[in-house]
Amino acid sequence: MRRPVRRRAPAALSAAVLLAALTGCGATAAEQAAPATLTWAVETQPITLNPQQWSQNKTRLLVFNQFDALLSKAEDGTYHPWLATSWTVSDDGLTYTLDLREDVTFHDGATFDAASVKANLDQFLVPGYNPAVAAIQLRSFGRAEVVAPYRLRITLKEPDGLFLDFLASPYAGQVSPESLKSAKDLKFGGPDLVGTGPFILDRYVQGQEIHYRRNPAYRWPPAGAAHQGPAHLAELTYRFLPEAAVRVGALTSGQVQVIEGVPATEVALIEKDPSLALRTSLNSGTAYYYYFNTSHPPFDDKRVRQAFREAVDLDAVLRSVYRGTATRAWSVVGRRSPFYDASLENSFGGDVAKANALLDAAGWTGRDAEGYRVKDGRRLTVREVASAPYVRDRRDVLAQAIQAQVKQNAGIDFQVRIVDQGSAQRALDEDEYELFGNSRGDADAGAALNLILPAKAAINRTRFADPRVDKWLADASASSDQAARKKLYARAQRAVVAEHAVVFPIYVPADQVAASRDVQGLGFEPASGTPASAYDVRIGT
Amino acid sequence: MIRRLGTGLVVLWAAATASYVALLLAPGDTVDILVGDGPDTPEIRARIVAEWGLDRPEIVQYLSYLWRLLHGDLGRSYQAQRGVGEILAGQVGPTAQLTLAAAGTGVLLAGVIALATAGRGRWARGVASAAELVAVSVPPFLIGIVLLSVFSFTLGWFPVSGAQGPRALVLPALALGLPIAGVLGQVLRGGLEHALEQPFAVTARARGLTERALVARHALRHALIPAVTLAGWFTGTLLGGAVITEILFGRPGLGQVAMQAVTGRDMPVVMAVVLLSAVVYVAISTLLDLAYRAIDPRIRT
Repeated sequence: MRRPVRRRAPAALSAAVLLAALTGCGATAAEQAAPATLTWAVETQPITLNPQQWSQNKTRLLVFNQFDALLSKAEDGTYHPWLATSWTVSDDGLTYTLDLREDVTFHDGATFDAASVKANLDQFLVPGYNPAVAAIQLRSFGRAEVVAPYRLRITLKEPDGLFLDFLASPYAGQVSPESLKSAKDLKFGGPDLVGTGPFILDRYVQGQEIHYRRNPAYRWPPAGAAHQGPAHLAELTYRFLPEAAVRVGALTSGQVQVIEGVPATEVALIEKDPSLALRTSLNSGTAYYYYFNTSHPPFDDKRVRQAFREAVDLDAVLRSVYRGTATRAWSVVGRRSPFYDASLENSFGGDVAKANALLDAAGWTGRDAEGYRVKDGRRLTVREVASAPYVRDRRDVLAQAIQAQVKQNAGIDFQVRIVDQGSAQRALDEDEYELFGNSRGDADAGAALNLILPAKAAINRTRFADPRVDKWLADASASSDQAARKKLYARAQRAVVAEHAVVFPIYVPADQVAASRDVQGLGFEPASGTPASAYDVRIGT
Repeated sequence: MIRRLGTGLVVLWAAATASYVALLLAPGDTVDILVGDGPDTPEIRARIVAEWGLDRPEIVQYLSYLWRLLHGDLGRSYQAQRGVGEILAGQVGPTAQLTLAAAGTGVLLAGVIALATAGRGRWARGVASAAELVAVSVPPFLIGIVLLSVFSFTLGWFPVSGAQGPRALVLPALALGLPIAGVLGQVLRGGLEHALEQPFAVTARARGLTERALVARHALRHALIPAVTLAGWFTGTLLGGAVITEILFGRPGLGQVAMQAVTGRDMPVVMAVVLLSAVVYVAISTLLDLAYRAIDPRIRT
């Protein structure tokens, strides 16, 4: 149950600025005087604190405080050491050999070694532990063997280029095997699920806060960290403040030092305040886009799908809904992903005359009393069904803006229904929808495409099938050659966006973090674009 | 008393059954909710059905639900995958604190204002009823935001969030208590003024009783009856208002748990909160009965 919870897209910020934010403070880090405490207000409560049950993009920043993964992933999609110092993949792509750090201990004093990694991997095979991960991310996992105290051999059932992505994800957060057995609430995690991370979770009060203290023994940060050794902060509190105005007020009044989830309406206020700094990062994974359901009229006709895209002046819509802070999307894949195909930019949208010509050609020539197009006595109606808990970034308002545009510009009746999860699921199961909006937060966009595009994909909401696309994606999944994968994913993107027009890319979700100026070292995870853990964060100049 | 207890149990059983039936009638099946918007494959669904015992007939699931309830087992949360009892246990205290503080604030403010303005000049009454009207008609959310902006963000007198210490309780209790004070104040003043016009008041005055003693000893007793009746209504307002207040102020409590559970369709948690509300309601109405007897001698038998 992955729930990428994400925010509004910002004005484009170059990666260089983000990198500067991440690494710029390295030199002075060691000079910091007294260890400090920090309070950070977050919008979303974690559904679980067990990294292996992780499901919300927004809780990545919590996971990596308490747990370390085996590998880390850079923004360009390459993998780097973390708890594993090196790894080799056999020529047939079936055997992975990992060499592990020998100086790592869990918070409970247990030694981290090949046996503990094996225990973590085997935990996923326990029935009911995490069915979704077992069936998707770990579907090719065969077995893990301890070949030496710090060397592990993993055998896959079939080649899987995304297996390294799993090893760099929160799911590969290493948990002390003892605590996997003894934790009171294994699936929920909490203080008695023990990791190796830079902070030790010592208090969780549902609805209020989560509190960490520094792990004084920590000296195994991932490649790319701005410093070595224990974290700068002695204590760290994340306070849950779901209401955006309250988060901003708490920050401006100095009651918290950092907030995430800055609403577009408050961006100007924060930018004007000299004591505050705003940092923004586009998320990785997929853009937010509308899936056109191609299984029945009217979107079984490519011309109608194209007409819908042409009928919307998306730049104007995004400007009015997000006050200029959103980044327009041109592909299924987000702009930040290394697999993004930039050749699709400016290839569609905003041509009202073309929209009307396409609809005329498709036979939607009549008009009814309310001005909507009609064909054979049926109105050109398309329905969007959205599940209320997953509506974020004011996507309901966005839909209303698009609704007004397609009505005015092309006579399309776009109906938006926001319902509970059960009703939404039923509409999807029974094919009672024409439009579906979604974005995914996977660090590797390829993982998301596998779930969305193939004919038999788990969440193929377009109901579109193209054997070529299936083949490209399968080949890309089996390969660990980034350049080859990029080419294959580019073909898939061009097929669904340009050639068949089965999706309508809208904007690239982003995360915003606002902080008091004296908070240094706040950054974003290179691979996902979501706020990073507090390991490098410090207070001072 | 035994009859009351029996009625209480029937109310609880009805609440448990009604919420169970509501779950059955709600669109989409439980598996859909457990799958969420994540990968949805037959394999995943089969595992979920087996894990949660969803393949058994509905009547069997209902009876085993009642059986578990009888043993104090509230089931497991779909979302958090922990015991519901455990989730609620940590949240009852903060909500009880908040609602009691809010009720206390409301009753105290209403009492003070009503006693100070009942039967007084038009000016004092006008100001008081205008303030009461505002307190009743402005949503608690807005009251909360205004209180926060002034007393927390600008003046810095109170912290924005948390349940640490009495200072953090002041603003939430005010936000939740002000609407109660508004309604209660109007009812209490109306009752007092009505009582003061009754023949017994004239008699008492004629006997030389001071106005103050008349209000305190006689009129208040009459005015309290409609006010106490309103306490049942408070229970609903307080639980409903706690949802908004807790989320706004970042406080732990049943309100935010209920909110999360409803939006995530986490039915075991929703049903437990419904049951808990029923328990509170039964308890409050019993206490009210006792209060009537204390206030009004005519009800005593």
